[in-house]
Amino acid sequence: MEDQELVARALAGDTRSFTTLVRRHERSLYATAYAITRSQWDAADAVQDALAEAYVNLKSLRDPARFGAWVSRIVINTCNTALRRRGRVLPMEEPPEPQAFVWDGPEDGIDLMRAIQTLSPDHREVIALRYFRDLKVADIAEVLGTPAGTVKSRINRALAALQAALGRTGQEVSR
Amino acid sequence: MNCSDVRDALESYIADDLTDAESARLAAHLAECDGCAAEYEHTREVVSRLAGLADAFVPRERYVPRPAYVPRPAGGWGWRIAAVAASVIAILAVGAMSVPAIARQLPLPLAREIDALEDQNATLREQVDELTVRLETIDGEEVAIVDSSEGDLPPEENAAVQRLAMDFIRAQYAGDADALAAMGTERLRADLAARPQDYLREGGEGLAFAQMTEAALAEDGTYLIFVRLTDGADWSESQYQENFEIKRVGDTYLVDVMGMDA
Repeated sequence: MEDQELVARALAGDTRSFTTLVRRHERSLYATAYAITRSQWDAADAVQDALAEAYVNLKSLRDPARFGAWVSRIVINTCNTALRRRGRVLPMEEPPEPQAFVWDGPEDGIDLMRAIQTLSPDHREVIALRYFRDLKVADIAEVLGTPAGTVKSRINRALAALQAALGRTGQEVSR
Repeated sequence: MNCSDVRDALESYIADDLTDAESARLAAHLAECDGCAAEYEHTREVVSRLAGLADAFVPRERYVPRPAYVPRPAGGWGWRIAAVAASVIAILAVGAMSVPAIARQLPLPLAREIDALEDQNATLREQVDELTVRLETIDGEEVAIVDSSEGDLPPEENAAVQRLAMDFIRAQYAGDADALAAMGTERLRADLAARPQDYLREGGEGLAFAQMTEAALAEDGTYLIFVRLTDGADWSESQYQENFEIKRVGDTYLVDVMGMDA
C-alpha cells in the first residue's frame, strides 16, 4: 500500500495504518537523526518526538503522497531542537558499539557511518536526506528551504568529503 | 560537456535523474575520459554503499501511536481502576515485559525485551514479584494471569468473563462485526455501528495474548478485565491493552465498553 493510502486511512482514524507508516519510515528517520545529531540518544528522542508530532499534525499534511518529505522536515526540526538543547547540557559519551539501536547490516556499514560522522553538519544533512531518506534534490531543497542548485553542489561536495574521509580511515572506497 | 560539467552531473547520472539526452552525452564523455571514468567509479561505489545503510538501523525504542479515540465510560476509568486494580494496571501500563520469571516461560520472544529492561527496572520488579502471576490455559491458549488482590470472584464467573474478552478480541481480528455485536450490549452495538474502525482489526495471524487480569466486580455490578496483547510478528512492534467493561444479563455476559490503551 502506498504512503498516500495509509495517510488517508490514518486520517480516518485507523491507528494501525499510521503504525504501518511508522514502521516503513522509522529506520531511515533514525539513521537521518543519528547522522545529524551524532548521538544515539538524541536521535532516538528526536525520532520519537517527530513521530508523535507527525501523528498529531497529520491532518496538516496537504499532499499525502509527500508524507516522506514532510516527516523528514519534522525530524530535521526535532534534531535541531535536540542540538540546541545539548548546548546547555554535558553530552553523554557515545559508546563504541550501538546501544540505542540494533545494527542489522554489514560490519563495514558501521565504518561508513563513522566516516559520515566526521563530515560537516551541512554535508551530513544532505547525505542523510538524499541516501537515507531517498529524497529527490527538489524535495531536499524544499525540506531545507535551500535552492536546488545549492543542494546539488552540496551533495557533490559531501560525497567528495566522504570519499576523502573513507580514505583517511583506511577504508577502500571501491570494494 | 567538459570535465567540470561531467563531475557536477555524476551524482544525478548515477541516480538516473538526468534526461535521456544528458545521460547519453555524459556516457559518451566517460567513454573517452579516463579521469572522469575513474571519478564515476569512485562515486558509484560510495553511493551504492550509502543506499542500503539506513535499513541497518533498528531502533530499540519504537513509536506506537495512541488510538485517536478511546471510549471511556461516564465518569472515566480512573476511579474504577483505583478502586479495583490499582497495582495491576500499573504493571500493565509498562507492559508484559516486566514480569521476569513467568514471562520467560511464555512462547513469545519476551526474553529480549526483558534483557534490555532488567537492569533498569529493579524497583519495578520488586513490585511485580509481589503480585501473583501464573500461566493458565484458557480455550487451549496459554495466558499469563495477573492476580489482583481483590479479584476473588467465583471461578465460573471469572472464567466466563475472561473467555468473553478473548472471544471478543478474536472476533475483532477476524473482522467479524456480527460476532462482536452478538457479544455486546446495546451500548456497545451502537458504538460499534458508529465507529467500526475502532473495533475491526486486520492481521489476526500474529495475535497473541500476553497477559490478562482476573475479572473484578465493581460496585455497580460491572465486571472489569484488562487484556494485554500483541498483533505483530515482531513482539516489540505492536503491543496493546484492551480494557473491558462487561455486564451480566441473566446467564449471559455481554461487553458493554471496550477501550484501548497503547
